[in-house]
Amino acid sequence: MRHTLVAAAVAVACTAAGPAMAQNTELDRIRKDIEELRNSYEARIRALEEKLKDAETNARKAQESATQAETAAAKAETAAVQSETATATATAQAGFRQASQNAFNPAISLILNGTWGRFGNDPTTQVTGFAPSGGEVIPGRGASLGESELFISSNIDPYFRGALLVALTPENTVEVEEAYFETLALGKGFAIKGGRHFSGIGYQNAIHPHAWDFVDASLVQGSFLGRNYGDDGLQLRWVAPLPVFLQLGAEIGRGREFAGAGEVERNRNGKDSQAFFAKLGNDIGVSSSYQVGASYLRQNSGPDGVAYLDYNDITGFNNSFVGKQSISGLDFVYKWAPDGNPTYRNFKFIAEWFRRKYDGDFTFDTAGVAQTDLLNAKQSGWYAQAIYQFVRYWRVGARYDRLSHGSTNLYANAANVTAPDFDPTRYSVMLDWSPSEFSRIRLQYNRDLARQDLATGETIKDNQLFVQYIFSLGAHGAHKF
Amino acid sequence: MKTLNSLFTTALLVIAMPVHATLDVFACEPEWGSLVTELAGTRAQVFVATTALQDVHRIQARPSLIARARTADLIVCTGADLEVGWLRMVINQSGNDKVQLGKAGYLEVANFVPKIEIPVVIDRALGDVHAMGNPHFQFGPKQVQLAAEEITKRLVRLDLAGEPEYRNRLQDFTTRWKAATERWRAMGAPLKGVGVVQHHKNYSYLFEFLDMKEVGGLEPKPGVEPTSSHLNELVARQQTDPARLIVRSSYQSPAASEWLAQRIAVPAIMLPATVGGTAEAKDLFTLYDDAIQRMLKALKG
Repeated sequence: MRHTLVAAAVAVACTAAGPAMAQNTELDRIRKDIEELRNSYEARIRALEEKLKDAETNARKAQESATQAETAAAKAETAAVQSETATATATAQAGFRQASQNAFNPAISLILNGTWGRFGNDPTTQVTGFAPSGGEVIPGRGASLGESELFISSNIDPYFRGALLVALTPENTVEVEEAYFETLALGKGFAIKGGRHFSGIGYQNAIHPHAWDFVDASLVQGSFLGRNYGDDGLQLRWVAPLPVFLQLGAEIGRGREFAGAGEVERNRNGKDSQAFFAKLGNDIGVSSSYQVGASYLRQNSGPDGVAYLDYNDITGFNNSFVGKQSISGLDFVYKWAPDGNPTYRNFKFIAEWFRRKYDGDFTFDTAGVAQTDLLNAKQSGWYAQAIYQFVRYWRVGARYDRLSHGSTNLYANAANVTAPDFDPTRYSVMLDWSPSEFSRIRLQYNRDLARQDLATGETIKDNQLFVQYIFSLGAHGAHKF
Repeated sequence: MKTLNSLFTTALLVIAMPVHATLDVFACEPEWGSLVTELAGTRAQVFVATTALQDVHRIQARPSLIARARTADLIVCTGADLEVGWLRMVINQSGNDKVQLGKAGYLEVANFVPKIEIPVVIDRALGDVHAMGNPHFQFGPKQVQLAAEEITKRLVRLDLAGEPEYRNRLQDFTTRWKAATERWRAMGAPLKGVGVVQHHKNYSYLFEFLDMKEVGGLEPKPGVEPTSSHLNELVARQQTDPARLIVRSSYQSPAASEWLAQRIAVPAIMLPATVGGTAEAKDLFTLYDDAIQRMLKALKG
C-alpha cells in the first residue's frame, strides 16, 4: 500500500516536473528520502523484533526457573533448596505488582494447638477456696484439642488498624476473644484501642495462650483473671517521651466479665469496669532488659450479682455475690541474652502478684431458702517462673505458684459456710522444643497441691503430665516483650 | 543503682545534646545508622536498635526500643520482612504518628533498592524465605548508594532548613563511595571466581559484587540451624564443586563452619555482619575494607 502511494507520488512528481535537470535532482531527493524512510523503519522494526525476542526468552527463563523450583520443592530435598530459591529473571525483578483486590488482604495467621494430659485427680475440681474460673484454664484428661486461634489484622487506612481474634473451641463453639480497632495517627505517644480486647493489666494477661511458657495459666491468673481478662470498651495508652519506657494506660468497659467469675449478663447503661496500668522498662547494658508494671482493676457486679464460689464444694448451692471487686497487681519481667542475641541462649524471669478484694452482699441459697449478708474478703496470689534456652531450639522452665486464702468475713453467713483455711500451691517444670518460630512441642510436669480434701482437711497431692503442640500458620506475628 | 546511674547519664546526654541536632533518627541496623550519620552529620541524633552481634531476625520488641521509637522523627530500617518479628510491635506501641507506615518518617530501604535471590516459590517448608528477596543488601555497593539517595530525600523532607547541607553531604558521600567501590573491585580481584560457603545468606551481595562463586550454605534452609546430614552433603559436594573459603557472620555460632573447615581443609572465617561486627568495621567504608581483607588474608593462608 505504502509502496503504491509512493510510486503514485513519484509519478505525479514526474509529470508535473519542469526542466529535466530539475526533474532529475528532484527525483534523486525523493529516492533518497524514501531510502532513508525505509532504513529507519527497518531499523525500528528490527529493534522491536529483538525486544519481542528478548521478552520471550525472559518469559521462558522465568517459566523454566519456576518449573524447576516447583519440581525441586516437590522433592523437598535439602540440597536442592538452595538452587530452588532461584533468582527470578529481569522481568520478575522489574518489580511491577499486578493490580489486584487481593493485594489488600489482611494478614491472617492460625494457631493450632492440642494437649495430652494425665491427671491423678479430676482436674475439674475447683482450686480450694477460690472461685472456679472455667474449665479452659486447665486442659482436660487424655488427648484433647486446644483452642484454635484465628488472627486477622490489617491497617484500615492511615488512621486506624483493626484486628480480630477468634477462638474455635474444641466444643465446636466460636468465641470472639478480641475484635478491636486501634488508632495509628493520634501522635504524641497516645493510642486508643476500642472494641473487645484483653486488658493491659498485669504482664501475662494480654498474652495469648499460644505464647505462654507453660501449658496452663498460673494459679493466680486462672483464679483471679480467668485466663485472659478482657472487656468490651476503650483503652487509652500513652508513652512518655523519655529515654526510658514509661507507659500509662486506662480502660473503661461494661464489665462483660467479672474477673475470675466468668461472663456476667448485663443490661445496664454505664461502665461497670475500670482498669489502670503503668509500665516502666529499659535495657541494662546490651544483654539485659526489664519491665516492671503496676495495675488496678475495679469492677461492679451489677444488681443481678455473679455466681460466687461454693467454698464447701457441695452441689445444689446457688451462691451469689452483689457488690464490688478490686484487683491490684505488680509484675516484673527480666530478660537476658548474651550480647542481646537470643538465637542460641537466652533467659527470662517473670513474676506477678495480685490481690483481690470483695466488698458487697453474699447470698447463701439452698433450695430456695436464701440468706443474704455482707461479705468482705481479701485474697492474694503470686507466681514466679524462669525459662532458659540452653541451646538453639530447646528451653527448660520452672514455675512456682501460690495463692493465699487471706481473710474472709461472711458475717451472718458464717453459720452456713466456712471459708477454707488453705493456701493452694503448685510446682511446674517444662521442656520445650521449637524447631522454628512457627512450631513448638512441649512436655510439662506439675506437682499440684492446689486442692484440699474438704472432709479430712488434707492436701490432695496430684502429679500432672502434659504433652502439648503449638503450631502457627500464615503471617508472621510480632510478639510483645 | 547501676540502672539509676545509667538513667541519670542518659538524662544528662539528652540535655547535653548538641543544639543543632534537629532530627531524632531510629535506625534498625548499624549500617543505616552509620549511613544516616554520614548524610546528616550533627543535624541528626542517631539511635541504633541492634548490633552486629545480634540476629536482626530475632530481636524482641523491648521497652527501650519502644521508648526510642516514641521520640523518633525518622525510622530507617532494612524492610523486606527482616524486622517482621518486632518492628511493627515497636511502632504500634510507640504511639508516634510520625513514623507510621506511609509517613515520611518511615523508611524501609528495601523498597528502594533492587534485591537478589527473590524466591519463585514461597512456602514455609523452605525455611525463612524472604518473599521480597535477600534483605542483607548492606553489602551491595549499588544498594547502599540508592539507600543514601533515598535517606537524603527523607532528611530534606523532614528538615528543609538543612537541605544545602544534606545535598553537599550526599554529593561528598557519592564521590567517596564511587571511588571506594572501584578500590574494592580492584582489591577483591583475586577473589574472582573463588568458591565460597556461607552460613546464612548474609554475604550474597558481596559475592555477587566481587564475582565470587557461592557453592553452598551451612544452613540447610534459610534460618534453619546447620544439621550434620547437610554438612556431610557439603563435604561430598567439595569433590565436584570445591569451596576455598567458609564464612559466617559476627552473630553466628562458629561450630558448624569450624566443623566443615576441618573436614574439607578450607579456612573458615568470621566476617562482620555489619558496622561494628569487628573492631575494624567502624563505618560502611571500613566494613567493606575489613570484609574483603579478611577473605584475602584467609585465602593467602
